[in-house]
Amino acid sequence: MEQAIVVEALVKRYGSLAAVDGISFAVPSGTIFGLLGRNGAGKTTTLECCIGLGKPTAGSIRVLGLDPTRSAGLAALRPRIGVQLQATSLPEKANAGEVLELYAAYYGIAPRGAEMAERVGLDGKLDREIAQMSGGEQQRLALALALQHDPDVLFLDEPSAGMDAFGRRIMWAEVERLREAGKTIVLTTHYIEEAERLCDRICVLQRGRIVADAPPADLVAQYGGDATVSIAADRFAPDTALQALGAWTQTEQCWKLATHGEPGLALAAIVTHANAIGAKVDSLDMHRPTLEDAFVALTGETLLESAQ
Amino acid sequence: MSALRMFLVQTKMNFVWYFQRDGELIFWTLAMPVFFLVLFSFAFSSGPNSGSSGFLVPGIIGAQVLSSGFWGVGVMLATFREKHLLRRVYLTPMPPWVFFASLVAYRMTLLAAQAVILIAVGGLVFHVHVIGRPWEILAVLLLGTATFVSLGTIVGALARTTESANNIASVLTVPLAFLSDAYIPIDRFPHAVSSALRLLPSTQFIDTFRDVSIYGAPLSHYGAWLGMLALWTIAGTVISARTFRWL
Ligand SMILES: Nc1ncnc2c1ncn2[C@@H]1O[C@H](COP(=O)(O)OP(=O)(O)OP(=O)(O)O)[C@@H](O)[C@H]1O
Ligand SMILES: [Mg+2]
Repeated sequence: MEQAIVVEALVKRYGSLAAVDGISFAVPSGTIFGLLGRNGAGKTTTLECCIGLGKPTAGSIRVLGLDPTRSAGLAALRPRIGVQLQATSLPEKANAGEVLELYAAYYGIAPRGAEMAERVGLDGKLDREIAQMSGGEQQRLALALALQHDPDVLFLDEPSAGMDAFGRRIMWAEVERLREAGKTIVLTTHYIEEAERLCDRICVLQRGRIVADAPPADLVAQYGGDATVSIAADRFAPDTALQALGAWTQTEQCWKLATHGEPGLALAAIVTHANAIGAKVDSLDMHRPTLEDAFVALTGETLLESAQ
Repeated sequence: MSALRMFLVQTKMNFVWYFQRDGELIFWTLAMPVFFLVLFSFAFSSGPNSGSSGFLVPGIIGAQVLSSGFWGVGVMLATFREKHLLRRVYLTPMPPWVFFASLVAYRMTLLAAQAVILIAVGGLVFHVHVIGRPWEILAVLLLGTATFVSLGTIVGALARTTESANNIASVLTVPLAFLSDAYIPIDRFPHAVSSALRLLPSTQFIDTFRDVSIYGAPLSHYGAWLGMLALWTIAGTVISARTFRWL
């Protein structure tokens, strides 16, 4: 598969702080790539280096084979990328329709105000002044500006921040439609659910370094930890067959199994055993490792580490 | 073709966003200069070497050109950068010259309107007769606007914050207006001083503009000063292009 974006050994320093500290990744065209990480991990810095807003201290970047750190490369790249910045700022007295009209002129395309408004859920709001739009509405407009000229590669920095559940769903549908149309999308997000649903590949950043870069399912399998089944039942104790399923721990009335295996099967076996020995089940709980578990395991630090 | 469209749409938006919908700016650009004209006309109407209304009308228009460059463009650009508006525009394929050309076009149109209003009020209230040829007057006004927009852009390029741009603009605009024949005749200063002040682009512009408009002096007499203004414009443009930061 052809790579739309290739980043190699990228370093970006602000004074003594290495905001991005030697990262490499590649994004195949036609896929959605998620940058995740805690606040200050370096997501925005990485993204901005890819679109010519930041000069890398070291390393190389190619987007569609072009170098965004050189003016010739950036000039050739600009019409082909669409960007939604983390904090977009537009002229306060402008209205949404006018901004879309101006940006259509910048890209030499026919204005598509009404169509874009419908796509991002701003119908009937094209004559709203920016200053009077809510944060989520401004985010929707920013998304529309990124999409209007039908770019090949999209960079979306926290596109769903401040959006309501409907806006988020609209954004997800839009992003999925873009992938279907063969576009490449890089997005950052703090919503694990969003990353899991959209991303073909997730890159987790921690203090400017990559701590994992894999499809969501692989991240869960590798870093999500064990599935667990907890049972609280009168006179319950696991027999040898159940003990073979994994590690058991007991707290008061509650027994908890941590297992590498399929937790559904373990659950069935546990319930069968409880019934067989006549133990009355008070509560029963199963937890499969999630992407959030993997994320926390990957980026969680002790307070001591954070303080350093 | 597409650059022309960009230019036209951007110029239109400059008007709508930064002028038409900004009540404060409408007041400062249209009402305030007229107020100055009335105030100064009465204040300076007695005494020797009095600044007559005929002197003040082109002087105030000239001062508006200076503030248009330093405040209107210089401070505006610094504000745009501080509010991260320039970053967003920098991501688009719009060539930088289109952006600046549309700012110049916007400022030129506004100044032409201001000039018409001041000349009309001067004529109706103070019987100021403008006997110069309209096209020549306009040509000088536009050249002066180009000069001070290009110099103002340097302010916008070098100032790190809106606040520092504001400070630089006030330090430049207010003293320059008083030292450049805008409100008070510089002949009042000792000869050596007034000769030195005539080397300023602001003095050369305001004097040329006054002589061509009020006194109907032929443009051809001012070739040297017009040439100087053109040189300042080129210098301002080159320095701006080299120092301007979008981010
Ligand atoms: N212009 C700057 N000057 C100095 N330090 C900066 C600058 N921009 C970012 N940083 C620092 O670089 C680090 C990475 O910032 P970045 O904005 O890339 O984080 P992020 O992962 O996008 O965080 P968030 O989730 O909060 O958006 C942070 O520690 C930040 O303080
Ligand atoms: Mg960020």
